[in-house]
Amino acid sequence: MLPMFSAYIDMIRIRFLMMLAYRVNYYSGIIIYAINIGAYYFLWKAIYGANETLGEFTVLQMTTYVAVSWMARAFYFNNLDREIANEIKDGSVAVQLTKPYPYLIFKMMQGLGEGLFRLLLFSVPGMVIVTLIFQIELPTQFDVWLIFMVMIFFSFLINSQINLLTGMFAFFVENNEGLMRFKRIAVDLFSGLIIPISFFPGWAKGVLEWLPFQAITYLPASVFTRRVVGDAIYNAFIVQVIWFLFLSIPIYVIWKMARRRLVVQGG
Amino acid sequence: MYYTSIFTDYFKTYLKTRMTYRADFLIEVVTDLLFQLTNLFFILVVFLHTNSLGGWSIYEMLFIYGYFMIPYGVFTCFLNLWSFNERYIVKGEMDRILTRPAHNLVQLVLENMDPASLFGSLTGFIIMGYAWFHLDVSFAWYDPFVLQLMVMGSVLIYGGVYILITSLSFFSDSPTGITPMIWNIQNYGRYPVDIYNKVIKFTLTWLLPFAFVGVYPASFFLDKDISQGFALLTPVVGIVFFSIGIIVWNIGVNRYKGAGS
Amino acid sequence: MSAIHVNHLRKVFKVQKNREGLKGAFQDLFKRQYNQVAAVDDISFQIPRGEICGYIGENGAGKSTTIKMLTGILVPSSGQIEVNGMIPYKDREKFVRGIGVVFGQRSQLWWDIGVIESFQLLKKVYRVPENDFKMRLDEIVERLQLSEILNRPVRKLSLGQRMRCELAASLLHNPSILFLDEPTIGLDIVVKTEIREFLKEMNQKYETTILLTTHDLQDIEALCSRVIMLDQGHIIYDGGLQNLKDKWGKGKEVHFQFQKTYPLSTLHDLTKGLNVKWFKENELAAKVWIPQNEVNVSDVLSRIVGFTDISDIKIFETNTDEIVREIYKSGSAEKAKEVVASNV
Repeated sequence: MLPMFSAYIDMIRIRFLMMLAYRVNYYSGIIIYAINIGAYYFLWKAIYGANETLGEFTVLQMTTYVAVSWMARAFYFNNLDREIANEIKDGSVAVQLTKPYPYLIFKMMQGLGEGLFRLLLFSVPGMVIVTLIFQIELPTQFDVWLIFMVMIFFSFLINSQINLLTGMFAFFVENNEGLMRFKRIAVDLFSGLIIPISFFPGWAKGVLEWLPFQAITYLPASVFTRRVVGDAIYNAFIVQVIWFLFLSIPIYVIWKMARRRLVVQGG
Repeated sequence: MYYTSIFTDYFKTYLKTRMTYRADFLIEVVTDLLFQLTNLFFILVVFLHTNSLGGWSIYEMLFIYGYFMIPYGVFTCFLNLWSFNERYIVKGEMDRILTRPAHNLVQLVLENMDPASLFGSLTGFIIMGYAWFHLDVSFAWYDPFVLQLMVMGSVLIYGGVYILITSLSFFSDSPTGITPMIWNIQNYGRYPVDIYNKVIKFTLTWLLPFAFVGVYPASFFLDKDISQGFALLTPVVGIVFFSIGIIVWNIGVNRYKGAGS
Repeated sequence: MSAIHVNHLRKVFKVQKNREGLKGAFQDLFKRQYNQVAAVDDISFQIPRGEICGYIGENGAGKSTTIKMLTGILVPSSGQIEVNGMIPYKDREKFVRGIGVVFGQRSQLWWDIGVIESFQLLKKVYRVPENDFKMRLDEIVERLQLSEILNRPVRKLSLGQRMRCELAASLLHNPSILFLDEPTIGLDIVVKTEIREFLKEMNQKYETTILLTTHDLQDIEALCSRVIMLDQGHIIYDGGLQNLKDKWGKGKEVHFQFQKTYPLSTLHDLTKGLNVKWFKENELAAKVWIPQNEVNVSDVLSRIVGFTDISDIKIFETNTDEIVREIYKSGSAEKAKEVVASNV
């Protein structure tokens, strides 16, 4: 167990170094997030106009929500679906299977390395700058920060699980490009990144509550903006844990099926 | 004449390729449209809660939105350079381009044509028409001609900016991530620039003039007074930025060939 | 008049240095260090019209860089090039109409559509008149046996089929010079032979000048009258293939199969005074090593043949592979030059 663990740490480290190697990518990444936060900040201000609250959000909660959900996205976002699909298509997944580690966990670790890189080098400095420029309100209690950190780690897990599932579809269809694109749209739209879920019409809210996407952005960002307080925080966290466990089942099943296919047909 | 004839042939090639993968083709067209429509969704949801965005009504917003899609579709049809760095620089296909007797940028345009994106333009045109129908604005006989001029200007702005960005691949072989950045910024050109602060407004007007692919030209037809003057600048800005793009591109190609360094 | 004329050609690249470890990576994020590397360093040669010339060297010796300069893709750092009477990087579009290029590892055909469609498109791009195109296509199709595969999409072709199509594509506009970068890489022996024969025929019929880079010395032996050998950006050999063998081949080996057993000492005595080495293979066989330029094979044979009962004789020459390996083993260009000089 322990040597495996150090191997995982090394995968995270290597991915971290790879990210560092592309400096222009790093700079432009910061700017992308700054622009997105800035633009949505002003957009929401204009939308609120003279209104004090809209869709259960105050202006201050809304601007904070925008900032924190984009910063969280920097951490949980990755392209694992595309990487896995490409490795399946060019056959290198078969080579990966000969290596002495579980492929999917290996991929998750890579994603984690990438996410940690962005968390430390985009999100933290970015959040400092955003706090200085814009009117937002950070939580003051230590335990809120702590539970938020745990929750965005679960955001990462759930988002990566969805990516693994979409990526693995390439085992069964010749081209899963369409599915990957749909997934991307769905995550940005239904996770509450672009519009908080409380703004959606009632029927849509009802549907979204039964989908895993809200666990990625809406729940942790709601905790951070203090819209969800007290015991409700634990409810939100439990929803994340349930989704994490639930999504593990189809991943396990599909992976077993895919492996069998790979063994029988030789890729 | 030469270029018209090879254009036809490349177009035929395009059709043949697309027909080989009909299902993928359909999926691509649909998802591309959906991608663009997420922003429409944003507008619609937001207007469930308010009836004015910085003084603009929902139909005015939809009108800008529709206009925005038209030049974008035309631009993607002809200048689809998203994968330039990976395909032509990293995988080295630029070498092949340079051993063929036609202008390099023209070859790139022809090889990457994507007429399917014109569906986006069509959708935009329909949305714009729908919004116009609900708006109480005058319709002048010259409006269709002005529209064409504006769209042309906007397409040139896209062309200029993206050719410029793509040229960066000649200067740095590592992925820069700048293209998605620009793509993000352009989306803010479809909201009234007055809602932003000075820095962003200035950027969208003069540095990365994406206000000229959305709100400025569209406001010409809406009789909004914020930007009538700006609206008429669209073709001029287009020509200026396109020229800059081409100049930088040529510098880049020379650098690729090792002439400049 | 020479087809290719290269004079003191140089190409220098700036290469980024990556510092090690996490600290190094952070430093690279803000400030980068570069090295100057001369990929091609002061080379000169001329290739007359109608010649097939092999351009060989190890990976990174500067072969591809030279080809890219000759085809107008890269502009030299210094020196002159003239190909087909033109300067490749000037007036590029006109220049490339007179040359054909095949990069063995990259395709110039459209992946998803029938081969013939790609050919049609290239016809337009190179402005080949319809009649010329027809004639040319018919000839190539027949010669390379492409008629079966003309309508298949490129992605469904085997590597050998694809390479034949690539060759065809590069010849449709009847170029007077053909550049081939690793044209036989990864192909099986049958296809290799086919391609070699085709190239030879094209060269004889149309006087097409061919410059090819390869790692397969069989290509060189089968095709080239001339070899240019490159090492670390310098030319270390330029001349005929036979000459190369004469200069670098160290000698010959003769294998004897005897009818009775002869002890080594007997054989030594027979060739007394000649600087040769004998080795015993088994009871009835032995071989002798005869160094180049010192001892004639015929001298050795005449001393052995009359005095022993021989059932079989085989003469082995050092093959080109070994020669080339030997040249590279001798290290840098300077050293290699010394060896050449001392051999002369």
